[in-house]
Amino acid sequence: MKRRVEIGVLYSHSGNYRLISDACRTGVMKAIAAVNADPRLPVEFTPVEYDPQANIDRYAAGCAEILEKSSARHVIGCVTSWSRKEVIPTLERSNGTLWYACPYEGFEANDHVVYMHACPNQQLVPLLGYVVPRFGADGFLLGSNYIWGWETNRVARDLIADAGGRVRGERYLPLGEAGVSRLVAEIEAARPNFILNNLIGTSSYAFFEAYAELGRRDPHFTPETCPILSCNLTECELPAIAGFADGHLSVGPYFHDAEAHGWDAAVSANMPGSSFEASASACVHALAQVLAVNPDAGWADLPAVFASGAFKGPFGDVRIDQQTQHATLPVEIGRIEGTSFRTISLTNGVAPDPYLSRYDRRTVFPRPGLRVVS
Amino acid sequence: MSRGARIPNLGGARAFVLHRPHATVQAISRQLAAIGLEANDCWPELPPDVLAGDFVFFDVDMGFDDQFPWRPGEAPMPLIALIGSEAPGRIEWLLSHKADAQLVKPIGNSGIYSALLIARQAFEARKSLAAEVAALEARIGERQTIVRAVLALRGNGADEEGAYRQLRSLAMGWQVSMEEAARRVMAHKSEGLGDERPQRA
Repeated sequence: MKRRVEIGVLYSHSGNYRLISDACRTGVMKAIAAVNADPRLPVEFTPVEYDPQANIDRYAAGCAEILEKSSARHVIGCVTSWSRKEVIPTLERSNGTLWYACPYEGFEANDHVVYMHACPNQQLVPLLGYVVPRFGADGFLLGSNYIWGWETNRVARDLIADAGGRVRGERYLPLGEAGVSRLVAEIEAARPNFILNNLIGTSSYAFFEAYAELGRRDPHFTPETCPILSCNLTECELPAIAGFADGHLSVGPYFHDAEAHGWDAAVSANMPGSSFEASASACVHALAQVLAVNPDAGWADLPAVFASGAFKGPFGDVRIDQQTQHATLPVEIGRIEGTSFRTISLTNGVAPDPYLSRYDRRTVFPRPGLRVVS
Repeated sequence: MSRGARIPNLGGARAFVLHRPHATVQAISRQLAAIGLEANDCWPELPPDVLAGDFVFFDVDMGFDDQFPWRPGEAPMPLIALIGSEAPGRIEWLLSHKADAQLVKPIGNSGIYSALLIARQAFEARKSLAAEVAALEARIGERQTIVRAVLALRGNGADEEGAYRQLRSLAMGWQVSMEEAARRVMAHKSEGLGDERPQRA
C-alpha cells in the first residue's frame, strides 16, 4: 500500500515564458505518473497546483496557499529568479522547500531551495570556455531587464576580460518587449565575435528572427562567424524560432540528442524533450527517493539525505551537494538544428560552484604557452 | 577593487566565528562553506592562527576585549559583528572594535555573502585611508625640516625663493619627495659638508 503524499506545483500556465513553464510542468506530471506507477516506491504523489498566471506578485501568495491549505511541504516550481526570490521568505516562514528546475545566475544557497538545474560554472563558464578559442573573445551582451540578465552578464563581463576580450555592448529590454531593431543596429555597428543572449521569451524569439535577417544582409552575422549563445535555450522553445536559429549555440545539463547519448529509438522516445522537463522530472524522482526513506522529511532533513548518496533520474545518478543544495550535472553544449540540438561537447559530473569560488581563469581560458627562443 | 565589477573571489578564504556554540554558529558555518570559505568556530578566545585569517565574525552579546589578540579597533582583517541585544552599551562596545559589517541575529540564509563583501570593501577603504593619513602626517611632521633645509641652502647665497627652487630640483633629480630631499640636505650639513652643494644624483 502506497502512502499518499501531496506535493506543490507552482508553474504559470500562461505568460511570455509559457513554453518553459509548460516543459517544467510536463516533466513534473510525467514523473509523478512514473512514481505512482512504480511498485517499488512506497509513496504516491498528489499534485497541489497553483497557477500564478505569470504575475510576479502571485508567486509568494501561491506558495503560501499550497503550504497552508494542503499537507505539502515540498513545492516544485518557479521559472524566473525573480519569482524564486519572491517565494523564499514564504518557504522560510512555513518550513517549506522549493525544488527549482531552471538554470539561474548563481550566488545563492538557501537551505529551503534545492537547485536542480545549472548554475554559472555549469553553463556560462564552460560555454565561453568553448566559444572564445573558436570565435574570439569580444562579446555583445543582451538581457531581459531583471536579475537573470543583469547577473549573468556581470559574470560574462569578468570572463570576457579574463579571456583578453572586450565587451562591445550591453543592452537590456523590458520583459516581453519585442522591439529589437535598435539593438540589432547596435550589434551591426559593434561587430562582436559572439552575442550572449540572456533575453527571455518573446524578446528572445524576436531577436533570433531579426538577427537572421541581419545575417542575410551581412555575412559576418551568421552562426559560423558570430554565433548567438544562450544559457537557458532548450528544445522547448525551438518551435518559436524554427528557421531562424540553426547553427547557434546553447548550453545545459541535457539535450535530447539520441546519437550523442547512444539511445536506441525506444529509449529516445521515453527521454525528456528538454533539460527543463528533465530537471523538473529529476526533482520529483529525487523527492520520491527522499520520502521513500523518511516520509516526513522536511527542509532540515535534506542535507543529511543528500550526503548519503545519489538519486536516480533522467540525468542518470545525480548527487546533490549537501552544503549548497545544488546538483552535480552534466554540461552539454549544443548546436541548433531545426527543432533539436546536436551535442557538440559533453562533460559529465560537473560539481556545482554557485559562488564561483573555485573559478580559475587559467583553466577556463588557457593561453597558448610561450616558447623559449634561445 | 579598482575595476569595480569582478567575480568576488572568496574561495579558500578563512573565517573565524567567535561565538559560543549555538545555532547561529551552525547557520554561519553552513553558509560560509556554501560560499567556499573555510570556517573555524571558537569560544571564548580566538586561536593564535586567527592572525592569518581573512575574516572574523564576533558575538556582540557576550564579547569582551580580552578575546582579541589586538587592541580595540586595530584588527588586521575585516570584522563582522553578530548583534543580538541592541543594548546601547553593547553597541558602544562593538563600535570601539570598528566592525566593518554587521548581521542581526537570528541568522538565516541571507545576509552573510553581502556582509563578507561589504566588510572586505570597508576594511580595504579604511586601511588605505589610514595609510594615506599616516603619509600626510609624516609629511606635515617634516615641515620643519623643509624650512631648515631652505635656510641652509640660502646660506649658499641664494634668496629664499631660489633656495626653495633648488631644493625642489634636488628632489626631482634624486627622485624623492621634498621632505626626503630636505632630510638629505640637513644630513649633508650636519656631516660638516654644509658649504658644499649636494651632488645631483
